[in-house]
Amino acid sequence: MRLRDEPGNDVAPWVERETLIEATPEEVWEAITDEDRLEEWIAEEVELDPVEGGDASFRSEDGERSGTVQTVEEEERFAFTWARPGEGESLVEFTIEAVPAGTRLTVVETPIGPTAVAAGGWRPRLARLRGSLALAPVA
Amino acid sequence: MLERLARGGTITASGIAEKLPISRQAVAKHLAALRSANLVSSERVGRETHYRLRPDPLDDAARWIQTVSAEWDHRLEALRRSLETRRGRSQ
Repeated sequence: MRLRDEPGNDVAPWVERETLIEATPEEVWEAITDEDRLEEWIAEEVELDPVEGGDASFRSEDGERSGTVQTVEEEERFAFTWARPGEGESLVEFTIEAVPAGTRLTVVETPIGPTAVAAGGWRPRLARLRGSLALAPVA
Repeated sequence: MLERLARGGTITASGIAEKLPISRQAVAKHLAALRSANLVSSERVGRETHYRLRPDPLDDAARWIQTVSAEWDHRLEALRRSLETRRGRSQ
């Protein structure tokens, strides 16, 4: 499990995954920002307006997610929020990096917003756990 | 200590202190901290306090991390395949 410090002394679980692709950053950028290309790998039906503030929706067998495009930095960074109806929202951030073998693509997904805290309430509990473990130097 | 708790059942401060090279007072202080973090529950039995792990909060976070990691591994593999297949066709 990975914990990341956030403003306000809160901690959140987050997921970071990466892949190395034999393709140029330009090709990877197109594959993660073009709605037709996104349908090849992220969901069966994708509607996405790749500008900051643009709408995004993803429909697949396991349901629908929708959100808003947050960051568009050509061939470098792309981020949007998404959530299933009635569930907590997450921020999904892609980072593109040219490497000798092609392109490294990193994705980080982080729960955001008050719903994420309410769902199970594990965010404040993790913060308290960190505090309690720091308190006592016992294995 | 969390490992011992995770094996199930209940523990007491003196029971833990007997098995680990730390004082009963240090154990009691640590258990009290875990209880105030809502990670263990306690029950008074005679003169001893018995502690039991409450696994729910960490389970929720761990489950989320596991599910979301698997989803992204699956998607990124599909993306990689899609891009490399496309490139293979154009060469």
